[in-house]
Amino acid sequence: MGVIIGPRVIDAGLSLHLAWLSPVPVAAGYPSPAQDYFDGRIDLNAHLIKDITSTFVVRVTGDSMERAGISDGDELIVNRALEPRDGSVVVAVLDGELTIKRLRITPGGVVLQAENPKYPDIRVSALSELTIWGVATRCLHHV
Amino acid sequence: MKPAIMRQMPEIAHVDVNCFYASAERVFDPSLEGKPLIVLSNNDGCAVTRSPEAKALGIQTGDPWFKLAPRAREWGLIAKSSNYELYGDISARVMELLGRYSAWLEVYSIDEAFLGVKGSPEHLLDLGRTIKAVVARNVGVPVCVGIARTKTLAKLANKWAKHNPAFGGVCRWDSVPPDQQEALMARLPVIEIWGVATRITKRLNAMGIQSILDLKRADPVRIRERFSVVMMRTVLELQGTPCIPMEEARIGRDQLIFSRSFSTPITTAQDVRQVLSVYAQMASGRLAKHNLQAKLLTAFAGTSHFNARQAAFPSVCVPLPMPTADPVILTKAAHALLPAIVEGTRYARAGIMVTDLRPSGNQKPLELFENPHEERHIGPLLEDITRRYGRGSIGLGHAGIRGGPDWTMKRGMRSPRYTTHWEELPLVKAA
Repeated sequence: MGVIIGPRVIDAGLSLHLAWLSPVPVAAGYPSPAQDYFDGRIDLNAHLIKDITSTFVVRVTGDSMERAGISDGDELIVNRALEPRDGSVVVAVLDGELTIKRLRITPGGVVLQAENPKYPDIRVSALSELTIWGVATRCLHHV
Repeated sequence: MKPAIMRQMPEIAHVDVNCFYASAERVFDPSLEGKPLIVLSNNDGCAVTRSPEAKALGIQTGDPWFKLAPRAREWGLIAKSSNYELYGDISARVMELLGRYSAWLEVYSIDEAFLGVKGSPEHLLDLGRTIKAVVARNVGVPVCVGIARTKTLAKLANKWAKHNPAFGGVCRWDSVPPDQQEALMARLPVIEIWGVATRITKRLNAMGIQSILDLKRADPVRIRERFSVVMMRTVLELQGTPCIPMEEARIGRDQLIFSRSFSTPITTAQDVRQVLSVYAQMASGRLAKHNLQAKLLTAFAGTSHFNARQAAFPSVCVPLPMPTADPVILTKAAHALLPAIVEGTRYARAGIMVTDLRPSGNQKPLELFENPHEERHIGPLLEDITRRYGRGSIGLGHAGIRGGPDWTMKRGMRSPRYTTHWEELPLVKAA
């Protein structure tokens, strides 16, 4: 039942642009000048996903991140492989639930902030006390 | 041989996900962490995966759900229906990640793989720990790693790493002192070794071979005479001689089976006909995807084992006129079972199997025997439409009947298909 995947390109971030079909009709014997410049349509996966193994799309419920431009019903692209830093928008596990917060790492301690004054901060003494599920990289905001 | 060269001998890492289905469920539902969790087989039949907490309750693989359900609340036991789309995606992520650590990756099953690795003992242990940490970080599931000179020992090392927390989930066989290796092998019965089935165990026991250590010390030639060359390889592998090579894709010599149990038994030939049509077309799509053709099709149906009064297990084996992946021919062949179907009998399962698979197109049949449907690429077309618009969106003949055929699977406790359906994305709370 084994399936072997032979020698392969190791760097998953590398994508090759090979020959694409021309988007413009080409009259025989008279090549379109645009043809040489067509390199494929914009590929959202290529631009929004750095590592396919660690990237997930999640949906937001609630209004606690409004000030960061993240609204109820928006989708977020979350990369689990990124190191959470001061200022990162993170998905943290709080009481067994995936929760979205702004991470603040200060000399005085670590804070999970809402971006809405209605919601209180959550303070811990060290990052290790938190379970950070992933770091949000993009918000797909419904306009 | 110089020690420096000795250290560079290739080894094999065996990586597998702990309690795979349960771990995949926990990635998106952290509230399941630390709770007894089981994942049920098709049709919510029985437990197929148990979290460590469920194992601690004494639940065994194969325990039927109808027996566990009455006590689930009292135990705090959570059951999930199989979510194959989720498990398939999580598996693909793990395998892709593993492929970054070795040019040679053999995906052995949905949750385990062998990797060819090379380096000093320290380097190999580091690599194992890195793999474990990166899979946990990127994908969110726990793995254990066993590293050894042979596949059989790598599997054993992995098992050891799982059961002995002192290893931290990574065990390299040759880094463990020989007296500890022997103590482990003396403690474990032969059934625990990869490739040793229950039936063979009885015969080994009769020869006085009880433990893995007994088997390792057995005479390989005698084992080959009594059993087979396969068993001899296991002995040699236990002794540290690699005999089971990294496999080339074996799917070509394998078989494809499509078979399910029904949520409600079906009782008419018309229903059986519909089921067989669906599976024949699924088989056609799968064959086309792997550029394979089948030469033999088996269709079967069966009553429930709990239904002794009506016991019936009809099956037919249909040699196909030529190697084919054509959905029309496969569907017709599957319908050969229909005369054996007795109206009113309660069939609990049905399915088809295609065997004698071969790569398509390397032997062109005579034009006279060339199949008219294949020319039109109906199989790939059906598969393409199914992929785009979902299962059941198109089908040939009886498989095309829409409107919820009532033999489809019961999956009442399935979690969302978090990573494959836009409507079922995991929810994150902004509160």
